[in-house]
Amino acid sequence: MRRSASARIGIGFAAFAISAWSFFPIYWMIVSSLRSQQELFTRPTLLPSSFSLESYQQLLEVTDYPQQFRNSIVVALAVVAITLVASIIIAYAVTRFRVPFKLMIVGSMLYAYMFPPMLLAIPLYGIFVSLGIADSLLALVIAHCTLTLPLGVWLLWGFFKSMPFELEEAAMVDGCTRLGSFVRVVLPLSLPGIVTVAIFAFLLSWTDYTYALVMISSDTQKTLPVGLASMVGSFELRWGEVMAGATLIALPLFLIFTLLSRYFIQGLAAGATKG
Amino acid sequence: MPSRYDWVIWTVFWSGLALTALFVGGPVLDALWLSLHQASSFIAEPRFVGLANYGRVVVDPEFWRAMGNGLFYALTSIGLQVVLGIAFALVLNQTFPAQRLVRGLATLPYLLPTVVVALTFQWLSDGSVGLVTVLMRDLGFGTIPWFEQPWTARMSVVLASVWLWTPFVTICVLAGLQTIPPALYEAARVDGAGPVALFWHVTLPQLKPVLTVVVLLRGIWMFNKFDIIWLLTKGGPLGATEHLPIMAYKRAFSLFDVGGGAAVATLSFLMLSIVVTIYLRLFPLEEKR
Repeated sequence: MRRSASARIGIGFAAFAISAWSFFPIYWMIVSSLRSQQELFTRPTLLPSSFSLESYQQLLEVTDYPQQFRNSIVVALAVVAITLVASIIIAYAVTRFRVPFKLMIVGSMLYAYMFPPMLLAIPLYGIFVSLGIADSLLALVIAHCTLTLPLGVWLLWGFFKSMPFELEEAAMVDGCTRLGSFVRVVLPLSLPGIVTVAIFAFLLSWTDYTYALVMISSDTQKTLPVGLASMVGSFELRWGEVMAGATLIALPLFLIFTLLSRYFIQGLAAGATKG
Repeated sequence: MPSRYDWVIWTVFWSGLALTALFVGGPVLDALWLSLHQASSFIAEPRFVGLANYGRVVVDPEFWRAMGNGLFYALTSIGLQVVLGIAFALVLNQTFPAQRLVRGLATLPYLLPTVVVALTFQWLSDGSVGLVTVLMRDLGFGTIPWFEQPWTARMSVVLASVWLWTPFVTICVLAGLQTIPPALYEAARVDGAGPVALFWHVTLPQLKPVLTVVVLLRGIWMFNKFDIIWLLTKGGPLGATEHLPIMAYKRAFSLFDVGGGAAVATLSFLMLSIVVTIYLRLFPLEEKR
């Protein structure tokens, strides 16, 4: 359909407004992290007049940020690994075997969506204290898995359900064991679902603030979100360093999104987030 | 068809399921148990008090104020997210140059960790050199204490939440828009419908299944949201932005009233379950395909 010039201009303007609304705070975060310290505390200008990596240097040399970056990576990878293994097996068994209370199991996974964070965090912290693992990365990994596991099972259940059973049967008729057909047929075919689960488990763990706030108190065990937030208000406010830290947390997420946006959108459509 | 290796999968399945139940179900049961006990810290010996924690919480005016704050926050931020999300999706569904780029940009906020958003918004509204503060001063509004007055604090929290979570609505509605058959629009146009009538009588009814799910999910999440409010205001000033999740957190971890915190969390979950049940009665989710 052909549009009038005024309609085209209107749409163009609206598209620009959406981009500005969505991107400006992100732009401001990145630009602020790249300004020199003096320039930050003068009247702000939209375009930076100087370029400096001072804030990044300070952040990486003076603060616990590098340690916290490592903590975040370790926790996120452990969460992804546990989530993948457990949810693949549960989802597969629920769709392929005669499991009693099948619907109840899957339904309860959905129910876990509704738990208020404190309903899990308060008792979990109590349990970790009595086990003697409070304030450790292990505690955080377990806490994150309470979020990612139900999500993973729910997503993969949808995937495995729609995959025709005949494919595996054919493989088994041809002499594959069930385990063999699972590894050679089911896993490769459901790779998109598995990648989606991995992305969202990583995303949930990497961005989590609430659970880390509850579980972790010592600086060396903190993950990035809590570590960065505690920089504000601890000593004199260094916005340059804070924005540098914020940019570095966001960077991996932007990378994942650019490289794997197909899976990201797919996961969103299947309800893969919790926030 | 039974297979030799079935037992491997069975064993792993049951242990995985047991682990999940332990991870997720265990804490919830424990929360119920804690809410029936009084403990002055996480190491103190809990004492059984029956429903006393619930009684204490329900007669506390702070609980009902937190309830009201939570409803205000959830309803305004969901309303704005849905309206903006639909508007954005309608624009992004048109063809224009750099459409893919703009769609990508419109999704970006949703990727950001809450901490990043909270800190960036705090920096933008910094009292002396924040960009928004300076702009407002130049425009003659003076210095607005965003997070120090009850209503500006409430609006700031809503604004940050809307910015962060609107892309979820945009993406879902955009996907919904693409499934509407063009023939519907043509038929309506032949009947003389203008753009506004097309939106009300074709687009919106066709989007209803998507919107039912989106409003449900966003409602659950906004009611339970903890981090953005805690990071921006810690529930202040004077409890103006304190809602049930923050109240539960403060009880358990600052006042060391573990039973009270667990009771608040349990009550808010019960209320949410009731509302969700009613919602699903009113708007049953349509089975896809």
